Amino acid sequence: MASSLILQAKNLTKIYGENVIFRDISLDVRKGETIVIIGPSGTGKSTLLRCLNLLTRVNSGQIFLEGREITAPGTNEDQVREQIGMVFQNFLLFNHLTALENVMLGLTKVKKLPKEQARQKAMQELSRVGLADRAGHYPAQLSGGQQQRVAIARALAMDPKVMLFDEPTSALDPELIGEVLGVMAQLARDNMTMLVVTHEMGFAREVADRIVFMEKGSIVEQGAPDDLFERPQHARTREFLWKITELYGKKEKP
Amino acid sequence: MLSNFLSYIVQGTGVTIAVTLIALPFGLLIGLLLALLYNYGNRWVARSAGIYSLLMRGVPPIVLLFILYFILSGRLINLSPFWAGSLSLGLVSSAYQMEILRGALAAVGAGQMTAARAIGLTRLQAIRYVILPQAIRLAIPPWSNEASIVLKDSSLVYALGVPEILRRAQQLSATTGQPFLAFGAAALIYFCLVFLTNRALDYLAEKTKLPTQPV
Amino acid sequence: MKRLWLWFSLVLVLSLLLASCGQNAGGSRLKAIQQAGVIKVGTSADYPPFEFVDANGNTTGFDVELMNEIGKRLGVKVEWVDMPFDSLIAGVQEGKIDAAIAAFNYSEDRDKVVDFSDVYYTSEDAFTVVEGSSLTINDPAQDLLSLKLGVQTGTTQDDWLTALVDEGKLPADNLARYDRVDQIALDLKNGRIDVMMSDAVPAEALAKQLGGLKVIYKGVLSSGPMNIVLPEGEADLAKAINEILAQLKAEGFIENLAIKYFAE
Repeated sequence: MASSLILQAKNLTKIYGENVIFRDISLDVRKGETIVIIGPSGTGKSTLLRCLNLLTRVNSGQIFLEGREITAPGTNEDQVREQIGMVFQNFLLFNHLTALENVMLGLTKVKKLPKEQARQKAMQELSRVGLADRAGHYPAQLSGGQQQRVAIARALAMDPKVMLFDEPTSALDPELIGEVLGVMAQLARDNMTMLVVTHEMGFAREVADRIVFMEKGSIVEQGAPDDLFERPQHARTREFLWKITELYGKKEKP
Repeated sequence: MLSNFLSYIVQGTGVTIAVTLIALPFGLLIGLLLALLYNYGNRWVARSAGIYSLLMRGVPPIVLLFILYFILSGRLINLSPFWAGSLSLGLVSSAYQMEILRGALAAVGAGQMTAARAIGLTRLQAIRYVILPQAIRLAIPPWSNEASIVLKDSSLVYALGVPEILRRAQQLSATTGQPFLAFGAAALIYFCLVFLTNRALDYLAEKTKLPTQPV
Repeated sequence: MKRLWLWFSLVLVLSLLLASCGQNAGGSRLKAIQQAGVIKVGTSADYPPFEFVDANGNTTGFDVELMNEIGKRLGVKVEWVDMPFDSLIAGVQEGKIDAAIAAFNYSEDRDKVVDFSDVYYTSEDAFTVVEGSSLTINDPAQDLLSLKLGVQTGTTQDDWLTALVDEGKLPADNLARYDRVDQIALDLKNGRIDVMMSDAVPAEALAKQLGGLKVIYKGVLSSGPMNIVLPEGEADLAKAINEILAQLKAEGFIENLAIKYFAE
């Protein structure tokens, strides 16, 4: 745990009108760490991710990327987002571009790589998610799982310092979830720094270095997966874990 | 003599096409700008664009033609009847094209913008490389409709004395006393022009259609 | 984006300001025309024989030839601008054209916004019968109703008689329409019709040419005196044109034109 801080959130608060989404959240993300954020729906987990790469503005608090404050006025937000990859629940591939072009777009337009170089890099990333043979396919020609893997490749191509996953498997049919989680687990093994919001408890337990439990806009507790799953400190954590295992139990039944 | 007359009407086709070729792209340029302001500008900008659209669509095209030619032209800028007519039709069309495009932009969805920004594209880059290519595909069918309307509305410039198809047909109807022949010929030419335009745009839509079939 | 919109509104406001204060700054239109060497004249070339497009696509007709002669005597070239009739007054009013000639009749409403030249032609109607006929016409709208009438298709006389038919006063069978005035004259001589209704100028010309015919009534029924429409308050231009019109009348130029266009 001596590795350096990549992303640091200090006392973040987000309010929409009268609605407090989250209040006073602080979180440190170290290099190579995989953090899984769990918690009931509507507790501000997704909004937190969107705030971390500045897609949404926090009302107060500070965010640091490798020690530099990115919430400071005058920050080039586009440069920040280039360094923070994001994967969305509903994939959000560019519908008019092939898988390869989806991955290439950021390389040619943001990183300004020459086309040929961008193509090679994009093919590498597609291979990494196991979709080199689908390079010429349009999103509508791909399954949900394949689309999400292309989306992961698109984010990886920018060589991000940290990857944010916003419920990456929630929109997938059950039989397609595995291939996406497989790619994510491999990324974790490759020491990618990852912040994952998910309801996949199996994945959380197996892959995460740290679990963060969020409820009603604040972090209730966090810790290593075994500690948190086996010995939760708070009643609310226990309750949530009980509910979600019951849910999964039901799901398992034929 | 009859073939002379018919060729006289056909000569008006060039004017009709020229008016359309000025009005449509001019309207597209302004319409696109306004649609972008409407969808991505702040509240006041968006509201102003909406009011512009409302005004332009609420005024009969012929009235705008008269305002631009008889009232504004000569005081601000010197516009020939041809240009005054073409630009007025372009202004009217810009409001309709704005509506088409802002519908198309909205249909592309906010998610595409979010995804584009997430990989570090600027707002303008996102619009240019992600939003517009999709919006324009969606806009082609309704735009084809608008192109036909502008083509037919181009006959309004006759009111400023631009000798396009309709005006020539009127003159010949008066001279020959054969209104059926004169207006029939005009109708046939308009039909051919609209038909060809629609076919060309259908072809374009087909060409740019994204594959959906799994391979 | 904000800045762009600011520019946009600035241009708009500027345009409106300019529009409100840029009115024509007086001066003699006649001088401007003579300096340019061109007078722009509007007409509506869909009203034969006064103004129409011939088989070669040229604008011609009674009014057109008259105005060309006026231009020649002013020492300038006439540039013809064809517009729908309804746009002509606005065109003169807003200075898009220097004058308009299109068989305009004087009207008080129009006089409020434009000026009129002196009358250049009064389209008088005439009733013609065979020599030796004892027919007399005092009140055309009454006296004609039982007679067989001939008229040229599409003329103002045709409109006037057709209105009588539509009102149910004149039996439709009593009205015969012809393509040309000389055809009417022939049928008149052959006794197929009793009376020919036409413009007075060609009627008298025909009576002289063919012989055996006489004009028994002349009067303004279907049309009226015609004036050239001129811009409001341009006295110099009006004076110059009125002088030329007086010359042309005195020389018989206008009467010859009338025979040329209304008798065939």
